[in-house]
Amino acid sequence: MELLVKNGFVYDPLNKVDGEIMDIQVRDGRIVGRVSSSAEVIDASGMIVMPGGVDLHSHIAGSKVNVGRLLRPEDHYWDVVPKTPLTRSGVGHSVPSTFTTGYRYAEMGYTTVFEPATPPLKTFHTHEELNDIPVVDKACFPLFGNNWVVMEKLRDGKLNECAAYVAWMLKVSKGYAIKIVNPGGIEAWGWGKNLTHMDDEVPNFGVTPREIIRGLCKVNQVLGLPHPIHVHPINIGTPGNYRTTLETMRCVEDLAKDGKPCIHITHVQFLAYGGVDWLSISSHADDIAAYVNNHSHVTVDMGQVIFGDTTTMTADGPFQYRLYQITHNKWVNADVEAETGAGIVPITYVRKNYVHAVMWAIGLELALLVKDPWKVYLTTDHPNGGPFTEYPRVISWLMSNKVRQRIVKKIPRLARVRSNIKDIDREMTFSEIAVISRAATAKALGLKDKGHLGVGADADISIYRINPKTIDPSSQYREIRRAFRRAAYTIKDGEVVARDGKVVKTPTGRTYWVDPQIPQDQMARTVSELKDRFEDLYTVRFANYGVSEVLLPRSTPIPAQSTL
Amino acid sequence: MTVYDDVVCPFCGCCCDDLRIEVEENRITKIENACVLGRAKFEVYRVDRHTSPVGLQDGVPRPIKLEDAVDWVAETLVKSRYPLLYGWSSTSCEAIKLGIELAEEVGGVCDNTTTVCHGPTIQGVHDVGEVAATLGTVRHRADLVVYWGCNPVHAHPKHMARYTIFPRGRFVRGRSERRLVVVDPRRTDTARLADVFVQIQSGSDYEVISALRMAVRNEEIEADAVGGVPVERIEELADLMMGCRFGILFFGLGLTMSDGKNRNIDAAISLVRDLNARTKFLIMPMRGHFNVSGANIVSTWQTGYPFAVDFSRGYPYYNPGETSAVDLLARGDCDSVLVVASDPVANFPRAAARNLVGVPLAVIDSHISATSTCACVTIPSAFVGIEASGTTYRMDGVPLPLRKVVDPPEGVRTDEEILSAILRRVRELKRGG
Amino acid sequence: MAELKLSLRRSLRVPIQAEVINPTILAGKNLSEVCKVQVWEGNALTTLEDLFKIDGELAKDPKEQAVIVEGDLSKARRIGARMSAGKIVVLGSAGLLLGEEMTGGSIVVEGAAGSWVGAKLKGGSIEVKGDAGDFVGAPARGSTKGMEAGEVIIHGNAGAQLGCFMLNGLIRVKGKVGAFAGVHMQGGEIVIEGDSAGRLGAQMVGGRIVLLGRTPSVLPSFVIQEVRPSTRVGKDKLEGPFYYLEGDVAEDSWKGRLFISAAKNPHLKFLEEHV
Repeated sequence: MELLVKNGFVYDPLNKVDGEIMDIQVRDGRIVGRVSSSAEVIDASGMIVMPGGVDLHSHIAGSKVNVGRLLRPEDHYWDVVPKTPLTRSGVGHSVPSTFTTGYRYAEMGYTTVFEPATPPLKTFHTHEELNDIPVVDKACFPLFGNNWVVMEKLRDGKLNECAAYVAWMLKVSKGYAIKIVNPGGIEAWGWGKNLTHMDDEVPNFGVTPREIIRGLCKVNQVLGLPHPIHVHPINIGTPGNYRTTLETMRCVEDLAKDGKPCIHITHVQFLAYGGVDWLSISSHADDIAAYVNNHSHVTVDMGQVIFGDTTTMTADGPFQYRLYQITHNKWVNADVEAETGAGIVPITYVRKNYVHAVMWAIGLELALLVKDPWKVYLTTDHPNGGPFTEYPRVISWLMSNKVRQRIVKKIPRLARVRSNIKDIDREMTFSEIAVISRAATAKALGLKDKGHLGVGADADISIYRINPKTIDPSSQYREIRRAFRRAAYTIKDGEVVARDGKVVKTPTGRTYWVDPQIPQDQMARTVSELKDRFEDLYTVRFANYGVSEVLLPRSTPIPAQSTL
Repeated sequence: MTVYDDVVCPFCGCCCDDLRIEVEENRITKIENACVLGRAKFEVYRVDRHTSPVGLQDGVPRPIKLEDAVDWVAETLVKSRYPLLYGWSSTSCEAIKLGIELAEEVGGVCDNTTTVCHGPTIQGVHDVGEVAATLGTVRHRADLVVYWGCNPVHAHPKHMARYTIFPRGRFVRGRSERRLVVVDPRRTDTARLADVFVQIQSGSDYEVISALRMAVRNEEIEADAVGGVPVERIEELADLMMGCRFGILFFGLGLTMSDGKNRNIDAAISLVRDLNARTKFLIMPMRGHFNVSGANIVSTWQTGYPFAVDFSRGYPYYNPGETSAVDLLARGDCDSVLVVASDPVANFPRAAARNLVGVPLAVIDSHISATSTCACVTIPSAFVGIEASGTTYRMDGVPLPLRKVVDPPEGVRTDEEILSAILRRVRELKRGG
Repeated sequence: MAELKLSLRRSLRVPIQAEVINPTILAGKNLSEVCKVQVWEGNALTTLEDLFKIDGELAKDPKEQAVIVEGDLSKARRIGARMSAGKIVVLGSAGLLLGEEMTGGSIVVEGAAGSWVGAKLKGGSIEVKGDAGDFVGAPARGSTKGMEAGEVIIHGNAGAQLGCFMLNGLIRVKGKVGAFAGVHMQGGEIVIEGDSAGRLGAQMVGGRIVLLGRTPSVLPSFVIQEVRPSTRVGKDKLEGPFYYLEGDVAEDSWKGRLFISAAKNPHLKFLEEHV
């Protein structure tokens, strides 16, 4: 099957194409150099052509997300999606049902979405949900930062054994990367407590957050994993936490190799607060951005806040409890034996609320103050900051100082004073938007065939009804938002899957997972040791733990070469 | 002889996965590690079942061909203006997914046994949330375990042995380091094992929970007794709960189905939420059927709602009391019913059961039941977890693989195969085929 | 007022979604357009004229429009949902969700009504001459925002959880109510002339409930303040004496108030000791 996307303004930052009018040729699901005259032609004249969107952090699948759906029938009630002959029905807004999730991403021109936090014991559930998210390619990150075996191995200085265990876990859970959330803090939450300093000892485990992060950073390098450790540091959502965020970034600075990133700090907006309490909260996005600007070992993603109703959900049990105490909204907690936890609290971000306005400002400041767009990615930490369907709104804000300042005039005066947003006039270009929403995220994930339109890449292409030559994103921010909300065409593996914001085809996406290659005898030893103590750790049997590859309809393992 | 280890038991919400089954020439010859309920299922599954579909002709059940049975079900569903597809809690997630797809395709209501069991729990969760964990956290950490309105000795026999009281955890040595509290109107067999038994007046759970909440908030209770329990005992129980290191409250139908229903659960979850200001405390429902959790979980991710999902207007709509099976049937709203892996005639209120059998009724089930004897068409299916594999979700949301250890009788298909055939036929009919 | 008459042609086998029986939707149309208005009957769309014999007058302005509906409409859900003006009279019984999210106008039902009368009510008035079901004035599932404004009067008995999460407005019941009237109440007023099945005002944090009849008991989380000779609801003065209690003490920042008839509740006399 051949496709010719003709005459579009192509933005392919990885291949240094910046708005040139170019043809993109596709055969059998891949970008090729030439196609024959019998290729189907899509006339992209006057439109922007980008690689399909790659979202590296969005809570879309798994037991925590699902309890979020259960918690919020009132969220679904007013956003319903009827069945069509081609598509399944569903519900939407901040915790959409699975079919709706896939369709809505496709309608925005996104073709790859990663679930960033899954508890290994329940990752079978996560994959079942990912299987029911149509169109997009996907993966999930298992949680390691409060895992008992990991903490014991690091406490005992057994780094190689820890690496072998992590390798086993990635294989068995079909996971993609090492996710760390509030390292050690969730184990403390097993007793209703939390950790607040990098050198606090985890009760009963004799390791500290610093040691967990450093240990797993080294494990990541030993295993040669494609993505760095993906970290949600301690003290999230706490006034003054910018200090621990900087400490977290610093704590692995010496481990960086070849100038490549060795840590990714996620939804960093929630981690860039100054002040000592909610009354004095301020933005320290400038300090975070300065650090990121001056160091090559760290990348971040925004975690942008959108004013409106949404649902917070993270593995950070103690933080979610605190959020319940602040908001008095309904609260879900879900600890997972020997591994991790979770918490969910609905929230409404209100523009008139000084704290929420500062949070809104910080997300944008981070994206605009970090000079290199290859280091800062577009996310709302869906649904924590807001639903993923609001990405087009964030894009319009990043491209238009005018609309930002309009909002700045409407936020409380104190929020203006305690943030930097009113003084920032940078406006991102289309190329930079392509970087932060596709090229950089694909690169960060090590997905060589995604996020770009060079020959050999997967033919994941999005075409937007915007003419970069005639539009002024600064004043026409509404058009920008509308255009990015409904892609003119979304192409997945060379097939048109959505047209003008309507799904026209529902293929099954790939499930990526990482398959670390470690010596056989090392793996055998790890498995044997684990089997011996499995019943001491868990209430399920070893044989019933994990995810068989047959569960995944398009299993796509990515081998990783370890140094073990 | 074949030996199957680590078999997941398909009976109650405990989903114990340590069963050992020996099979010789397609017969189960040995069952180890099962409790009396699980053992009974593995021993008795072969009796009281049809081995071919059955249709009522002139009031007499006669064997019919599978394709005729499938045709009848498909035609009935397609003709119906408001069909109900009910059951689901005793089959696999794979079958449940097909059930949801079928209900969506025919514009009907898909409801599961939660509606007569822990529906109130879920409604409590909608209003207040929940404070839960996987069962292993209890084994590792709990020094106080409260069973309220449930009797695990009889309904979940291995619950205390595997998860809560008797086993050793990382931080708790076993029975000696745990306190067992039972709250119930009757001195049940579980109560007899308790360190502390609080006997309350039947139907007064809500009042007792309110009083406990007051005690946790240091408020004076201006009465001598609440729910038949002297205030001093209530205050002692509150102190016990506040003073533990890690507590958990398990509750069952005694709380969900007694006076107060979803408000009982709302209050209980609120109590546990309040306790978290003092110590670590959790609350969990004791789910009855082995895959009722799975039915809720699958329904929630696919439709946004855990049960009582109404597809009649083309999109999922949920309102228990309006779209729940008992209420739909009591009002006589539905014009046909498909029951899968459940026996509503045996446990629905009379008005609902009467309307259930008064409309075209089809049953897909592994054994003969009160409901199947009233059905126009019955299609026998394989026992999930014995004769058919599939996924189940334990009461705490942990997914587990059900095994097939023997073949079903000749001619008996799996729920998945039967539902797929019905869905195919429904689509053909809708296309005009 | 222009009167449009709808008479049910046949008995309803499956539920209909009757939110189109609504002056706000029907006014401004002509008769033939009204006949063609689509209605969900179970899982299929039909038209108003298929279900009803339709005649009468149509006004341009919904404020001038009355809709008179005749027949057994107990399977008609959502009559008058989201209406903002005008009048509906049901000569018969109405189904579930009568007047859901209504913002103005009035609905009168001569017979009984199902559960969720006035769910999420935002204005206007609903009067049911017969009994009503559970959840009068309740919010959507999972929401804590119940009835916000408006008035509901039930002449017969009402079911359980009346006024659940109520924010404001008035609910008056001449007959009895089921358990948990005023559960999670946050504001507004509830007057019950008959008996309550119990658990009055459970988990309430604001608002007032006046009970003129009997209740078997009072929750332990309500604290007697005093005996009041009378109380007011709107412009009406209600003669007591009333036991005046505040609660629900088990909640955060509770400001709920209960007025319970002393005369009808002699078994609650012991409360006087705790004043």
